[in-house]
Amino acid sequence: MTLSATPPVFDVDIFADEILVDPYPIYKKLRDAGAAVYLAAHSVWAIGRYDDVRAALLDYETFSSARGVELLEDLANMGTVGTILGSDPPKHDMLRAVLSEKLAPRALRGLRDFVDERAEAVVSEAVARGSFDAVTEMAQLLPVGVVGDLIGLPKEGREVLLDGADAIFHAFGPMTPRLMERLPKVQAYLQYTREMLDRDKLTPGSWGAAVLDAADEGRIPVEDAGPLMSAYMIAGMDSTVNSIGNFVYLLAKNPDIFAACKADPTLVPKAFEELLRTESPVQGFFRTTTRDVEVGGVCIPKDSRVMLCFGSGNRDERHYADPDRFDLQRNPTDHLSFGYGTHGCAGQGLARMEVPAAITSLLRHVDSIQLNGEPERNFSAVVRSWSSLPVTVTVSDAN
Amino acid sequence: MRVSVDYDRCEGHGMCEQMAPKLFELDDEGMLIYHYEGQDLEGELARDAEQAVAACPVAALRIQR
Repeated sequence: MTLSATPPVFDVDIFADEILVDPYPIYKKLRDAGAAVYLAAHSVWAIGRYDDVRAALLDYETFSSARGVELLEDLANMGTVGTILGSDPPKHDMLRAVLSEKLAPRALRGLRDFVDERAEAVVSEAVARGSFDAVTEMAQLLPVGVVGDLIGLPKEGREVLLDGADAIFHAFGPMTPRLMERLPKVQAYLQYTREMLDRDKLTPGSWGAAVLDAADEGRIPVEDAGPLMSAYMIAGMDSTVNSIGNFVYLLAKNPDIFAACKADPTLVPKAFEELLRTESPVQGFFRTTTRDVEVGGVCIPKDSRVMLCFGSGNRDERHYADPDRFDLQRNPTDHLSFGYGTHGCAGQGLARMEVPAAITSLLRHVDSIQLNGEPERNFSAVVRSWSSLPVTVTVSDAN
Repeated sequence: MRVSVDYDRCEGHGMCEQMAPKLFELDDEGMLIYHYEGQDLEGELARDAEQAVAACPVAALRIQR
């Protein structure tokens, strides 16, 4: 294969607000422009085709996370560098072992009733209002409660988690006014994590206590305990909240999907996988190349920052037939929304428990759901979600 | 072709069992049992195996030809 002499340059700013509203047509142009393209607006490479994204995720030696997985290396150095997200094997595997002990599906089995009860409590309370904000009054409450309790955090003071996660996700993208105004929230969140790394504060036997145990037992260096607990908090909150919001939006806009899932709740997990594919809560993360690498005939030089576009790969017609169609029967277990390979989302088992639990409860409680006002999109570069979803429901008689 | 399992990497997500229940099974503890360890696979089993390998979210399964 002849390597192209000059990289395909893509001059659309994929993080501009007007693109974030509906990035999919631009993703298609990006995929068609080349297997790897250079995003002029952000001086970063982007890989958007399914096969290439997956291959890059698998090849952690070439596409390293050790210089952080944010767009900007300066922000990465204050962010993911050295944490579980921003490290390569073998360091990564040592940190991952502590998390997956608690998050592997086999470890979660005993939690199903707990998660179902929490989902039921949060959903039934919101639904009883008739009209409510599905994000701020429902979606946000479930993971904060579930993950907060599992980590062993005190009940008071958890508000800082959602604001912190939101701010940190902004820090994965370009330097924008929205990020600047959120930096105090990052500080507040980091302060909170430092304070919580304390056996007097954490519930005994909790995940947070397990992180402290791992440090005490020398399984992880002491300085890695805080960032590891933080990884639980950030990843466990925001993306799950976003997924629930995306699901409610899907149901509110698609009465046929609502009806099918209400009639047969066993469809909810399949609908969830297809929704993850079509609307990935995390649209992409970044890597740095450790060598010159050829991707589909394009040479990406060593030390390049590269965006792996999960949201684009998930809509790649080269891999999924009729990719823009939401197909309840597709059940695309190979979607890229949880990543793939060594960094594949450690919490995906919990997400697969929480989100269907919330939606199944919702379907049980209501006969219909509609938008009741303008939804507000969350304009954050690597995130796809709603920050506000005003809805009205008709409560089911059979309760 | 054969499938090799990295049991250290396996976290019990169960995608392999979903795609190829004749080949992969999670026991009551959520631990993976691969029913064709060391055996060559052909035909339908091989096709199911390929789907299962592709489906593993942590790439704990590999194909050896």
